[in-house]
Amino acid sequence: MASTVIGAGITVEGEIATDEDVIVGGVVKGKLSAKEGVTIEHGASVEADVASASLVVAGSLIGNVSASERVDLQAGARLVGNVKAARVTIADGAQFKGNVDMDI
Amino acid sequence: MAENVSVIGRTTRVRGRVTGTADLEVQGFVEGDITVGGGVTVEAQGMVGSGIQARRVVVRGAVKGDLVGVESVSVEEGARVVGDVRAPRVMIAPGAMVRGFVESEGGAADGQARTARAQVAGRPSAASSRNAVTATPATKAAPPTPTVTVPAGPQARVTAAKHLAGMASSSSNHANAHSGASRRPPPPVVPALKRAKGQMAKRRER
Repeated sequence: MASTVIGAGITVEGEIATDEDVIVGGVVKGKLSAKEGVTIEHGASVEADVASASLVVAGSLIGNVSASERVDLQAGARLVGNVKAARVTIADGAQFKGNVDMDI
Repeated sequence: MAENVSVIGRTTRVRGRVTGTADLEVQGFVEGDITVGGGVTVEAQGMVGSGIQARRVVVRGAVKGDLVGVESVSVEEGARVVGDVRAPRVMIAPGAMVRGFVESEGGAADGQARTARAQVAGRPSAASSRNAVTATPATKAAPPTPTVTVPAGPQARVTAAKHLAGMASSSSNHANAHSGASRRPPPPVVPALKRAKGQMAKRRER
């Protein structure tokens, strides 16, 4: 169960740091670091550097990503930024612009 | 309902502003203003280091900042609030701790409440009475009734001036700390001053 939810209609401007899962359905600007998974839902907008164990993107993300496990871009996702993760998947229909570094 | 509520989880720290139109539940720590169109609930483990503005504000945890409710502000048992509280309806439950100026408007409708608030703000006495509140020593705000509604005029004020050093302390012991605090008188504000006074008395004896 996700413990932190930034739902649709909520905007966070600043830094979010947590040990738990994060689900973003709204807007986050700044920095987002989680020890567990981060999910950026369809319709969500994140303009932040993201550091987490795993990251699932279905919405829009502008910023650099560093994940210790994996990054999954789902159909309809939009990611502009560099990705650093051991495993990266990009689904058909995802939009991506940036460098990928899987050498960690 | 649950899928519509945004949650700042227990181990989450937010440094920055939180704005929006939806509801928000704070179980963790928010260091920045919260301005939300829906309701804000600060849970028992939650801490907010800045002001909260929302339609309805419910506090069970700790807030250091002003609480402004468009409809209501409810400070529940175990809550600690340092800051001013303003809303048409203000509830302070027994077992809650509040230090600051409290202003309620007796449950008027939204539009009326807003004009009433503007008039109150224009009054010169508002500032002076606010100073008086901060200067007043501990006044108990825990009558035996289960919930205290403060519908009295704009000057209604409740001071539960306890030392809120426990603001930053962990939530696990705040219940105990609180029950002790309600029985004991507050500690001297400036212990050094008290000591100096004692020495002066001794000097006078000589």
